[in-house]
Amino acid sequence: MELWVENRLGLHARPVAKIASAAQQFDAEITLEKDGLVVNARDLLAVLALDCPQGTRLVLRARGPQAREGAGNIAALFARKFGES
Amino acid sequence: MTDKNRTLQGIAASPGIVMGPALVLTQGAQVSSRMLYSPQEVAEELERFSRAVDQTEEEMTRLKNEIAEDLKEHAHILELHLLILRDRMLLEETQRLIHEQNYNAERALQQAFLKIKELFQRIGDKHIRGRIQDVETVYYRLLGHLTGQIGGRLLSSSEPVIVVARDLSPAETTQMDKARVLGFITERGGKTSHTAIIAHSLEIPAVVGLDSATLEIESGDLIILNGLTGQVTLNPDEEAIWAYRTTRNEFEIFKAEVSLGSALPAVTSDGHTNRVLANIEQPEEVSLAHDYGADGIGLYRTEFLYLRQRQLPTEEELFQDYRQVVAAMAPREVTIRTLDIGGDKFLSPLEYAPEMNPALGLRAIRFCLKEQKIFRTQLKAILRASAYGRVRVMFPLISSPREMQEARQLLEAVQEELRQGKVPFDPKLPVGAMIEVPAAVTLAELLAGYADFFSIGTNDLIQYALAIDRVNKQVADMYQPLHPAVMRMIRDVVQAGLKADIPVAICGEMAGDPLNIPILLGLGVKELSMNPMAIPVVKRIIRMTSLREATEFARQALSKATEVEVNDYVTRKMNDRFPEIFRFGRPLANNLAP
Repeated sequence: MELWVENRLGLHARPVAKIASAAQQFDAEITLEKDGLVVNARDLLAVLALDCPQGTRLVLRARGPQAREGAGNIAALFARKFGES
Repeated sequence: MTDKNRTLQGIAASPGIVMGPALVLTQGAQVSSRMLYSPQEVAEELERFSRAVDQTEEEMTRLKNEIAEDLKEHAHILELHLLILRDRMLLEETQRLIHEQNYNAERALQQAFLKIKELFQRIGDKHIRGRIQDVETVYYRLLGHLTGQIGGRLLSSSEPVIVVARDLSPAETTQMDKARVLGFITERGGKTSHTAIIAHSLEIPAVVGLDSATLEIESGDLIILNGLTGQVTLNPDEEAIWAYRTTRNEFEIFKAEVSLGSALPAVTSDGHTNRVLANIEQPEEVSLAHDYGADGIGLYRTEFLYLRQRQLPTEEELFQDYRQVVAAMAPREVTIRTLDIGGDKFLSPLEYAPEMNPALGLRAIRFCLKEQKIFRTQLKAILRASAYGRVRVMFPLISSPREMQEARQLLEAVQEELRQGKVPFDPKLPVGAMIEVPAAVTLAELLAGYADFFSIGTNDLIQYALAIDRVNKQVADMYQPLHPAVMRMIRDVVQAGLKADIPVAICGEMAGDPLNIPILLGLGVKELSMNPMAIPVVKRIIRMTSLREATEFARQALSKATEVEVNDYVTRKMNDRFPEIFRFGRPLANNLAP
C-alpha cells in the first residue's frame, strides 16, 4: 500500500510515536519502505531515522493474523495527517 | 569562606579559559570496560539490565501519571520516552552486545546509544535529528538505574557551571552540553586520558589530575579554569578577573585565526606545498580529521579491532571498518598501517607467553610474517577497501629488505586470490615501509627499492635510537625528539627518499608538536601526520614559514652537538618567530610536553 507524508512537519517524533504505538497493538508484522529501505513500523527510532519530510512516499506492507486491521489503522493515521496540519 | 585567589595546579587537558561557578559532583557514573568471562556472568548481566529497564519504565510511567492536566505536553514526551525505552535498537542491541561481545551492561548500553546517535547524525531534517535528545534522556535514566544513581546528573543545573568531579567517564564527557558546562576539573586522568581527548574535541576547557579538587572546591565557588596552563583559581579578586579577561580574549582571537586557516592547504610562504595528515584509530575519528582540516589520513592504526574482542576479527569486520574510513575520506588518501602488535597482547586463541622485552620481541611485521593467516586476512580487507577510495598500506617495524620482500609477496598472493574471485581492488596500491628501527635508517637506500614510500614512526625510532623507554621515569627526560642523532636519521631517510624519488612522511608524536615543524620542513619532510587536533596550528606555522628559512633553521639545529643546545636554540628561535606558540599554540595542539 502506498502512503504519502502530507503533514507539514513530516514524520517527526509525535507521528512516529503514533505509528509505533499502533503497530504494536496488532498481531502483525507491519513494515514501511522508503527508497528501498525497509523498517518495522513498531521500531520508533528506525522509522524516525528513515527521515521522512512532507511529500515523502512510503510503501506499507503487513503480514500476519491482524495484517488488515493493523495496516488500515496506520493508513488512517496518515490520512488524518496524524491530527496535524 | 575560601581565601581569595587560591591557586591549584592540575594538568592542562583541553585548551581554553573560562570563569564561572563550580558544581561539585560527588560521585561519578563510570562506564567501565570490564568484560564478562563466563556464560553465567552474561546471564546475570542480561538479568541486571532487564531489571534496570523495568525500573526505568516504572519511574517514567509514574512520572507520566503524576503530570497535571495542564502540562499534557510533557505527558506526550514521556510517552515518547517509554517507546524509546522499549525500542529494539536500544534494547536488543544492548542485549546483543552483552551476549555476543561480552560487554558489561553499561558499556553495551553506551555502545548501542552511540550507534543510534551516529545514525541520527545522518538525518537531514533538523527536527527529526534533534530527537536524539530524547534518546539521550532515556539513555541517561537507564544508565542511572544500572549504576544505582539518579540519571541525568549533569543535566540538572540551569546556570552554566564548571563541573568538578573525581572522575568523568568518556560517555559523560560526550554528553556535556556546551551551553551548560563551561569546563570541567577532575581529580583523576592525565593529558591523554579519553576524557581529556573528548573534551578537547568538544572544545570544552578542562583540567585533569587535580588531586584534591572535590575537597578544595565547593559548589558555588567562583573559579577560573585555565586549560592552557592547568591552573585553577578559586574566588579570584578584581585583578585576577581582569587578567583572566585579557588572556581569554587573546586566546580566542588566536584560536579563531588558527581555525580559519585549517581548511587551507599547507603551503609555505614561498610556495612549497606540504601535506598535513591525521592519525586515527577508529572510523568514528574520520569526522575529527575532516573538522580539523586533514589533507588525508597518514596513519590509520588497526589494532583496535584485534584488542577489543576475544575472537580475531573476521575479514568482513575489518573490511567494513576500513571501507568506512576510506569512503569517508575519498578522494583524499588513507594510509593504513598493518597490525602493529605483539603476540602477548592478544586476548585471542593465540597463546603467546608474556615477553621479557616486548619492544624487542615478536611484534608488528615480525608477528604478521609468522602468523600469516592473520596477516593475509588483514591484507585482503585492506585491498578490498582500496576499491572505495585512495589507499596506501604500510608495514610497521621493518628492519631489513627481506621483510619487505616477504610482506610484498604475501600481498601479491592475496591480490591474485582477489583477482581470481573477481573482487575489485586497487592494483596500484602503494606499499610503504615504516622507518622505526635504526637498521632501517641505515638501509634506507636499499629499502627504497622495495617501498613506494617511507613513513618515519618517530616514537619507536627515538626509543630504539636513544635506547630510552620513556615510560621509565628514571630516563624519561632523556627521550628527546630533537636529539642530534634523531635529526640526522630523519635527514638521511629524507635524502634516501629523494634519491629514489619516493615520498617520505613522518607520523610520530614529534610531527604534531608545533615546535618541531620548521625543523622538519627544513630537513625536507613534506608529509606530516599527527593527532587531528594539532593540524590547524601546524598548518598555521607552515603557512607562516618559508622553506628557505626552515632550511637554514634546520642547518643551524644540525650544527649543535648536544640536545640541550638544540632545545635552547629551537626554544629561543621559535619564541621570537611565533610569540604565541608556547602560550597558546602548543596547548591548542594538545602538546604540552616541555
